Amino acid sequence: MTRGERHSLMVGLLFVSPWIVGFVAFTLYPVIASMTYSFCDYDVLTKPVWIGTLNYREMLTDSVFWQSLRNTLYFAAFSIPLGLVMSLSVAVLLNQSVRGRSAFRAIFFLPSLIPVVASSMIWLWILNGNFGLLNHALKSIGIAHPPQWLADPAWTKPSLILMSLWGVGHAMVIYLAALQDVPRSLYESADLDGAGAWSRFRHVTLPMISPVIYFNLIMGIIGSLQVFSQAFIMLGGGGPQRSALFYAVYLYLNAFEYRQMGYACAMAWVLFLIILFLTWVATRSTRKLVYYAAE
Amino acid sequence: MAGTAARHAWRLALRFLVLSNFALGLAGCGRAPDERTADGRVIVHYWEKWTGFESDSMQAVVDDFNASQKCIFVEKLTVSEVDRKLLLATAGGNPPDVAGLWSSDICGFAEKNALEPLDRRLRAAGIGRDHYIPVFWDLCAYRGFMWALPSTPSSLALHWNKKMFRDAGLDPERPPRSLAELEAMSDRLTIVDVVRSNQTVRLRYVDLTDPEKAAHEFRLVQVGHLPQEPGWWMPLWAYWFGGNLTEGERKITALTPENLRTFGWFHSVAEKYGVENLRGFGASFGNFASPQNPFLSGRVAMVLQGVWMYNFIDKYAPQLEWGAAPFPAEDPVAHPNVTIAECDVLVIPRGARHPAEGFEFMRYINSQGPMEKLALGQRKFSPLAVTSDAFLAAHPNPFIRTFIALARSPNARTVPCMSVWTEYNDEMRVAADRVTALQATPAEALGDVQQRIQHNYDRVLHRWDLVKDARIKEWRDDDAR
Amino acid sequence: MRIFKKAIVYALLLGGSAVFLVPLLWMMSTGLKPLDQTMSMPPTWLPYREYVQEGSQLREVKAGETVPATATVVRKIAPRWENFSLAIAAMKYFPRYLLNTLILCLLTVTGTVLSSALAAYGFSRVEWCGRNRLFTVALATMMVPFPVVMVPVYCLFRSVGWIGTLKPLWVGSFCAGAFNVFLLRQFFMTIPKDLSEAARIDGCSEFRIFWQIVLPLCRPALMVVGLFQFMATWNDFLGPLIYLTEQKDYTLALGLQFFQSQHGGTEWHYLMAASTLIALPVIILFFFTQKTFIEGISMTGIKG
Repeated sequence: MTRGERHSLMVGLLFVSPWIVGFVAFTLYPVIASMTYSFCDYDVLTKPVWIGTLNYREMLTDSVFWQSLRNTLYFAAFSIPLGLVMSLSVAVLLNQSVRGRSAFRAIFFLPSLIPVVASSMIWLWILNGNFGLLNHALKSIGIAHPPQWLADPAWTKPSLILMSLWGVGHAMVIYLAALQDVPRSLYESADLDGAGAWSRFRHVTLPMISPVIYFNLIMGIIGSLQVFSQAFIMLGGGGPQRSALFYAVYLYLNAFEYRQMGYACAMAWVLFLIILFLTWVATRSTRKLVYYAAE
Repeated sequence: MAGTAARHAWRLALRFLVLSNFALGLAGCGRAPDERTADGRVIVHYWEKWTGFESDSMQAVVDDFNASQKCIFVEKLTVSEVDRKLLLATAGGNPPDVAGLWSSDICGFAEKNALEPLDRRLRAAGIGRDHYIPVFWDLCAYRGFMWALPSTPSSLALHWNKKMFRDAGLDPERPPRSLAELEAMSDRLTIVDVVRSNQTVRLRYVDLTDPEKAAHEFRLVQVGHLPQEPGWWMPLWAYWFGGNLTEGERKITALTPENLRTFGWFHSVAEKYGVENLRGFGASFGNFASPQNPFLSGRVAMVLQGVWMYNFIDKYAPQLEWGAAPFPAEDPVAHPNVTIAECDVLVIPRGARHPAEGFEFMRYINSQGPMEKLALGQRKFSPLAVTSDAFLAAHPNPFIRTFIALARSPNARTVPCMSVWTEYNDEMRVAADRVTALQATPAEALGDVQQRIQHNYDRVLHRWDLVKDARIKEWRDDDAR
Repeated sequence: MRIFKKAIVYALLLGGSAVFLVPLLWMMSTGLKPLDQTMSMPPTWLPYREYVQEGSQLREVKAGETVPATATVVRKIAPRWENFSLAIAAMKYFPRYLLNTLILCLLTVTGTVLSSALAAYGFSRVEWCGRNRLFTVALATMMVPFPVVMVPVYCLFRSVGWIGTLKPLWVGSFCAGAFNVFLLRQFFMTIPKDLSEAARIDGCSEFRIFWQIVLPLCRPALMVVGLFQFMATWNDFLGPLIYLTEQKDYTLALGLQFFQSQHGGTEWHYLMAASTLIALPVIILFFFTQKTFIEGISMTGIKG
């Protein structure tokens, strides 16, 4: 290494040092530690005891583990595409030049600003089978027996998916920014070529914002597989017949209620591997679809 | 020049920001625990779960204690999810000096060595089992050591709506004496809307024809009794069938004939009224403490509830005509006066800084005057063996004697004392869910619970076996000090 | 045709806004009701007081009171504005929660902006070997789910005695999270290299280039990072839940739990009133800064 290169290396590392400290303390060490704990029997108060792969073998035969995994995958399978479509559509709508645009934008972003305890409580109310607004509205338009939502095991997951669509604010704002970056010249030339609105959308807008769609897709996978707060606050134990017991909730219960920290760490690692796998799948399958204007 | 001025201002602002952050950071640093008050008293930190008037009653007693002596000052903090927080705080090495838990927490915490055994202190203070209604003393014991002292107890009884009884042609002063009688009365008390020849008619359940009953085409307007209303003790219904949830110290007995009969009861209720009809009925989230509470609003005629129910009746439905009596068992001769006795308890966590002072406070609470003041404030009863007549006379709950008698009954049962109770309870609730939704037979549901929980219990016991000798020796040594 | 298209857009926007707003309006409406009206069936939007005609006077009917069937009952709309002050009083430590939350926000925003800017600069405007590979590692850390690190990080904080203090909640923000580093790096990469080169030739130290040239140019992006962090800290629930033990130290978001008590006695009206109050500052903040937001994100070119 030349002297200049060494100097650059030092300067670079110095700048990046806050990140390195955080990485070692809050990522590297915990990842290794939790891997170790996953091979131990560990409750919070006493020392960990090495038990080998017992936790992982337990997982295979734990019917509740599989149920939580199924519930989470079901939730992800619906909320990711629905969320994508919803946030993109809303962003497109909000990108049109209409009066009061900033007010509309604020309104659609508002739900993401409400503290999660409050929004969960509000939705608990709205989804209440007897007193809730939703069923009241459904009954008034003629549906005599609307579902009991959170009390009915068949409807708990759809209720939570519905709730997740209400909070598309963050993704929507990112799409908005991306939409505004699409060069007008492209639209103008498409217009000249006689393309209609849908055609313009499909052939100009979508490819130009495809990197952002990819970004939101990955974030969506990571986020929906870790869904926790609403489900925990509204249906603490998993809801009727554990129909809404999600992976992260079961993990939390194992860690803090049943005090099986080792098992919880093993679950966390399996989740990590699942996320990595799905991210890899998403990347490979969309590689052809994502267009980087910079390249 | 303006540019330099602006840069100066920017730099100054930044410097200020950094310094203030540093200062704030230091301020957030090392929570120096307040050890003494201005007048040199030792501060005892006390975490309690209560809010509202329950909290106020305890605060009044705390104030009395603080005023009665000059060495100790108790600082009470209301902590939500106190059991979880206490566990984390004890693990984190900075627990409070005294904490208020539930009696069902004692086993798990004691086994994990999170509590201080109290035997030595109790002996020194001359406090023994005969000072208490026996069931509450026993609730605080585990593996031969005492871990807590009771603060406010409770027992469960049948609450019934006298007006609904009268309207149904039943004697409002005579509650059911056996489970079969309860079911028969419930059939009379249940009112449904059913469509007959294109008109909606409101009838009592007994007046429905058999094909109508089987078709479940009716809508429930009010019900006599449902095991799942309020459904807070679903796994423990077995006690009214003479059942047990554990046997000895190592065995889970979920799949016994008595438990099968209990779940068979759930099954029969679901089959009688229809799963869909039941789903929307009864306690939906959040309406317990409101005039829409099913019992308070006259939608359910009979419920199993605790001594606190009086408070809610008084607040939300003061016009309600109600009565309380022992909840009948399946076989009232073999099992008379069954109830579930629970207790809020006070514990000293391991690692507490001032255990001796904390115990002084606990001892104060457990003497007759303060205890009765606390119980009166919370409108519960006293766990002490002797209850003064003044207390009974002043108590607003007209049926307080029933609750006290039930607590003294030999059939006052308790939640099983085991460290996997949380999981066992959760599993049993899921099993009850499945049975009431007619998704599984009692045998299937209970079989699953048995298998899963016995497996988990064995695992936990295995760990206990590894450490038990050391643990018990440690507790004995502490006791001998 | 254009008018038709505009009409559809307006209709969709208005319809969508209504749906999105309904839960929030319900929250505010519930916050203004007395407890017994929060669960009325059918649901009511406007809180009211009931009065019964007695002779020539109207007397208010108290909750739970039964009125003879022959009496005429009049309903008047009466929002209970006092719920807001009562909720604050009921929460007991509300001023402390506010203070704690503000302190945390200040600390985390400063920490995040500073450390992320430093790290992003190092990853984008200084050439050193291994830089891009290390950055890929940084990106990969975003995929580590929180549960994986939750338990060991908790034990780490426990061993240094920080559990029960506010420190676990803000110390981490001084360590540059990958997401913000990514965001700012993209932005820094849009600034021409010549600017830095010229300054280097003039003899400026790298830090001075960072502080006096690049940073001022990136104010919108820095504001975005700061604002996002402010909102995240303001509403953070899980962190305080795990790390804070004493009620005095709680934040606003966690303090809302105070309204839930044993045996299901939740004071809905206070909970909703308090939630409205807590959400208000962030909403106002967003309303005034949304332009910066969107511009800020657009120029960071997440596109890559």
